[in-house]
Amino acid sequence: MTERTISVDYLARVEGEGALTVRIRGQEVDDVQLRIFEPPRFFEAFLRGRSYLEAPDITARICGICPVAYQMSSCHALERALGMEVGGPIRELRRLLYCGEWIESHALHIYLLHAPDFLGYPDAVHLAKDHPEAVRHGLELKKAGNHLMQVVGGREIHPVNVRIGGFYRCPTVDELGALRPELERALALAEETVRFAAALDFPDIEEDYEFVALRNEREYPMNEGEVASNRGLRVPMHQFEDVFEEVHVAHSTALHSVRRGAGSYLVGPLARYALNHDRLPPRARSAANEAGLGGTVRNPYRSIVVRAVEVVFACEEALRLLDHYRPPAAPFVEPPPTFRATEGSAITEAPRGMLYHRYRLNDGGLIEAAKIVAPTSQNQKRIEDDLRHLVERSLALDDASLTDACERAIRNHDPCISCSTHFLSLDITRS
Amino acid sequence: MHEEALLRDLLRKIDEVARENEALRVTRVRLWVGALSHLAEAHLAERWAMSTVGSIAEGSQLDVTFSGDPGDPRANRAVLESIDTVGPAGEP
Repeated sequence: MTERTISVDYLARVEGEGALTVRIRGQEVDDVQLRIFEPPRFFEAFLRGRSYLEAPDITARICGICPVAYQMSSCHALERALGMEVGGPIRELRRLLYCGEWIESHALHIYLLHAPDFLGYPDAVHLAKDHPEAVRHGLELKKAGNHLMQVVGGREIHPVNVRIGGFYRCPTVDELGALRPELERALALAEETVRFAAALDFPDIEEDYEFVALRNEREYPMNEGEVASNRGLRVPMHQFEDVFEEVHVAHSTALHSVRRGAGSYLVGPLARYALNHDRLPPRARSAANEAGLGGTVRNPYRSIVVRAVEVVFACEEALRLLDHYRPPAAPFVEPPPTFRATEGSAITEAPRGMLYHRYRLNDGGLIEAAKIVAPTSQNQKRIEDDLRHLVERSLALDDASLTDACERAIRNHDPCISCSTHFLSLDITRS
Repeated sequence: MHEEALLRDLLRKIDEVARENEALRVTRVRLWVGALSHLAEAHLAERWAMSTVGSIAEGSQLDVTFSGDPGDPRANRAVLESIDTVGPAGEP
């Protein structure tokens, strides 16, 4: 035997976090399992024993694309637990901050992750060679969203200005006013994005989704509303766990959410739009009409158009909020100095869909239990259902083409693994 | 948080290099980890033992050099520096 040392000097990369296992028997699809490899991150566990005041900053670290969603859901849940009422300009500022996140997150997905699928490119780098204008628009939109987050949230990624009760510091009228030209430009770009997306070629496919989203009487939902579905569900958000449950499945480290006694459901832009399109402001509604969206979109590939309409909405809403902004007397509502052990939950609309938080506090204000249900885990079972239908329709494809088709089907729903599913490993057993 | 995904990529590369060099086993792996890589030493060691089972690197020793320099251009990455292999008798 000989021993030797081999110099390699290889720069490792983080590989895809997903794999798809398909079992086909004859012309029947026996089983489809979307496996998520990412190890558990234990956020719910390490929130225990921490002050409730830390929850917005700790949970923001769960996602670099949608940290505001985690901050908003944690703030609302804890404020509900403490009986705090937060309204007026602070409420409006939170909505404005959320607009920034919707813009940057949706722009990223539309132009850098999703559009290459429709135009025949493996990724945005290749897309940029032939369509530099499209990628430039995407980056410009993303920058506008990030800038908004920076001004309101103090930082464009993992904002540091959010706290229980409101903000550490509220921006001045002039600081927000300075955002207007950039947001006006973003609104025009967003409308162009809707036209761009609507002109893409879409597979002629519709799925029978149960759409679930917040809905309220006033506006397109972000921070408030009841949980509604297109199959008649209407419950207050604190009853979320009575209606939905998370289940462990052996093949994935991500939990699957199901509606109790019913099965998979879909959250995110398609669901929000189906349940709230009548709440869209004029320019977003006009963009949706021009794109021919109708009231409900069941074709998952057309989610790129709906996402673009939501960018129009977020820009339009941000401009409205800028115009009506008057700084509050105090940047935050003071939490009660003492309180008894308590519990509270809340849902807000992350760019990818409903994000549920629940906290139990002891009388010293320390978190005893936390539960977080992210949109991707709520959608995972539904994504598996989409994939099963896709595989059933595509049995004649070779493995490489089928892998490509499955990756596209996953990206339709912008899950947290969106950027890594270009490396989806597909394991097909045919018998 | 991305240890598992990173190790899968590393193991694929290790397997490729080992086979190119007609190695029978990989006995030691040297890895350089940047200061901003978000890789945790204990977690990496634990995952290594689990991830290598059944691979050509099963039972191998993982030597990790953690860089403390956030200014290094590779600070957010990990580099597979070298591997020790055992080959058949008479092989170079």
